[in-house]
Amino acid sequence: MAHSMPMDLAREGLAERASPKALAVPWYIWSGLVAVSSIAFGLYWDISWHMTIGRDTFWTPAHLLIQFGGILAAITCSYLVFATTFGHNPRLREASVGMWGFRGPLGAFLCAWGGVTMVTSAPFDNWWHNSFGLDVQILSPPHVVLAIGILGVEIGFMVLLVAQQNRADGALRAKFTRLFLYMASIGLFLHLMLLAELIDPNQMHAPMGYRALSLGAPMILVAYSLASDHKWGATIIAASAMAMRIFFLWTFPLFPATPKLGPVYTNVTHMVPLSFPVLLIFPAMAIDLVRQRLGNRNKWLLAAALGAAYVATLVAIEWPWASFMVSPLARNRIFGMIYFPYQFPSTLHYLAYKFEPTTAAEMARGLVIACVSATATSRLGLAFGGWLAKIRR
Amino acid sequence: MIKRILSLLFAVALAEVCAAHVGSPDVYFQGEAGPYHLVVAVMTPQMIPGIAEIQIRAAEPGVRQMRIVPLYIVGEGSKYPPPPDVLAPSKDDPQFFSGKLWLMASGSWQVRVEADGDKGSGTIAVPVPAAARATLPMQRGLGAMLGALMVLLVAAVVSIFGASRREGQLEPGAAPTVSDRQGARLAMAVTFMIAVVLLALGGGWWKSAAAKRADRMIYKRPELLVSLAPGNTMTLHIGESQWHKLRDEVVSTRLIPDHGHLMHLFLIRMPQMDRFYHLHPVQPAGKVLAPVNETGPGGFVQELPSMDAGQYKVFADIVHDSGFPDTLIAEVNLPQTAGQPLTGDDSAVSAPIIGDAKSAPLVSNLSDGTRMIWERDNGGPLHSNQLLWFRLRVEDANGKPVNDLEPYMGMAGHAEFVRDDFSVFAHVHPDGSAPMAAVILADKTLPGANGAGAAPMANMPSMSSSPIGSKVSFPYGFPKAGLYRIFVQVKHNGRVETGVFDARVQ
Repeated sequence: MAHSMPMDLAREGLAERASPKALAVPWYIWSGLVAVSSIAFGLYWDISWHMTIGRDTFWTPAHLLIQFGGILAAITCSYLVFATTFGHNPRLREASVGMWGFRGPLGAFLCAWGGVTMVTSAPFDNWWHNSFGLDVQILSPPHVVLAIGILGVEIGFMVLLVAQQNRADGALRAKFTRLFLYMASIGLFLHLMLLAELIDPNQMHAPMGYRALSLGAPMILVAYSLASDHKWGATIIAASAMAMRIFFLWTFPLFPATPKLGPVYTNVTHMVPLSFPVLLIFPAMAIDLVRQRLGNRNKWLLAAALGAAYVATLVAIEWPWASFMVSPLARNRIFGMIYFPYQFPSTLHYLAYKFEPTTAAEMARGLVIACVSATATSRLGLAFGGWLAKIRR
Repeated sequence: MIKRILSLLFAVALAEVCAAHVGSPDVYFQGEAGPYHLVVAVMTPQMIPGIAEIQIRAAEPGVRQMRIVPLYIVGEGSKYPPPPDVLAPSKDDPQFFSGKLWLMASGSWQVRVEADGDKGSGTIAVPVPAAARATLPMQRGLGAMLGALMVLLVAAVVSIFGASRREGQLEPGAAPTVSDRQGARLAMAVTFMIAVVLLALGGGWWKSAAAKRADRMIYKRPELLVSLAPGNTMTLHIGESQWHKLRDEVVSTRLIPDHGHLMHLFLIRMPQMDRFYHLHPVQPAGKVLAPVNETGPGGFVQELPSMDAGQYKVFADIVHDSGFPDTLIAEVNLPQTAGQPLTGDDSAVSAPIIGDAKSAPLVSNLSDGTRMIWERDNGGPLHSNQLLWFRLRVEDANGKPVNDLEPYMGMAGHAEFVRDDFSVFAHVHPDGSAPMAAVILADKTLPGANGAGAAPMANMPSMSSSPIGSKVSFPYGFPKAGLYRIFVQVKHNGRVETGVFDARVQ
């Protein structure tokens, strides 16, 4: 080892920082946080861009932010894998898994996989737009491939982070936990954007919004709060995701912008933000409380309790909140019920303030389905969270 | 001449679907933008939403800048035009400008072109009907690459789950046990099965999403139902089109008259194109028709003139009140008809069988003893996808140009370009391929226009009140190679005369 100087010393340094006895957060964790945040905020910006300006090429700032995040993730993870595989550092290799002759942290492989999937979606999306038109649909097949890729990058970094957390203790472990909860809130933030078309206030006196919120959200909240082992994990995740949404709601409309693409149906003059978030902090608190009280019970029982508590709290809070949001009291910059995309005819703006109709029977049926979904995905969340809690490499 | 820039999108053989005209989707237009005479060509993309290419040529130098903006002609989407795009002159030809237009939805669009230069500025409105024509299949290379990536990604995710089960939860330095390895193999098998199921479901969803989109977006021509009633009466019914109904706000299903008539009907005998009739059916007022089809905007009736028997291709031009045009197609077998003499704007001509002459003549004898001469530039070959000028001159039997052509339905002339297999049919005027009704609607929206006053008409050379003289010209580009017949109709001494020319296009 004596003759292979600077390179090895650098790798030693890397290993020092990665080893269980390290005292600081490794550089690649910060890199991962920047990458995933860049992708998530870039996506938000992109949706706003499409509601405000419309015209778009590959190189808009929002797309660049997403691409930057993907590239940063790819570079970070490739470096990690190559350094582990070809470096001469036993400590790195010890804390690694093997795949296809390479070695590296598990999260790095998953993250790299996500990056390649994101890149794969680009030519697919290009063909789809050439073939079916330039308008933007959130859930087209190529966008779903992109979403899976982004999920891979995000969960990859979560795994990278949680492995660090699980090997650390004391103050360092607490630090990793905080970063993990931040990353988890980005995951929830991304998920809420996916649901954007289903959970506006005028849809929250009908079953679909509650059913949509009972699929991914309970799983995210349960899994990541379990993996973080924080008493109020779910609450922190939901509160952070809400805070990000509210911050963007208040700041985006400060920037002037006009549509560059006709037909223009609403005269937009500033960046159109996404809506005020659903008050997930309360069902999240319910999840934390149930876990605190019933954490050691049978997993299915626990899942049923989590699911029921989640849905009950969600409905109890969101129903009256939706009534407030469609009223004139919410038509201001604070609650944001005044913004419409330029594609939305002004003659139809009133629909935003009118509840989608439903019957008591449909509502009851929908809530039962929501409870069953929330239970099933809470159970999945418990399994996923339990798996994350055991990762060491 | 304006050179055609090839479309950026791969064009699979142009499908016949297209709204106005048949198989001829590009828009050719000329008019006055204040002090400037402009010739405009718009190449619409195969798929809407998509990017159209626009090429503009100023007849004289001195134009420094053009600003273009697309917007709907009528309706909610016409109120807030986005900021215009600025076009600079081309380096090789300072009178030539080109740019791109984003057409985000099907419908009756107009492009406002504002020209700025030495003589001040002026604006012209060019109607551009936009309708999706076809989707694009995936190129083989791209498909292979995506397929390979898919295999790679499935293999990778299976291995990742295997690695996770085998070593992911081990303390650093610990070796996996036999049970870990077995668990890993099981995890990989399960992951593989789940991946295959998800891909199968995903593939099914892709196919169905693609089919639904294509079905919703691609233009569907309404059916034209033609039948013969006793007494030499032809009845025509326009069928419903789901495509039009879905776009009622921007395309609409109500009709407006186009240069004086709700429908222009063309009957051309198949396959030789040796008989041509241009008629104008009417909607019967209060008359009860035995309906061929109950649906659609309604029925039309045409009292037939004397017609020779044969199988006829029928083209019917209509315009909706958004300015959006349609050309409906049908075929009908007609017996020998002894009908009314031609009246009003109706006209007909007999011609030699298409493609008969070894070299297509440039002279067509008209029925009143005069002749129509096609002034071809140099006799060289005609090319498709290129803006061409068709200049015609009418002279008497002694070769002296006449000076008393009259407006025919408000214009110096009308021309119909028809390909020998009937896959192309375009009804063109001196100011281009846009329907007159759409041009008038678009002009009304120009700032400063005062409704149906003199201002709109002054923009159109064809509608000027000055005498026509002996010449008429049409801008047009053939959409594909082949043998075409061109029918040119003018009015002379109170009669509608039709010159017939054949053209081989490369």
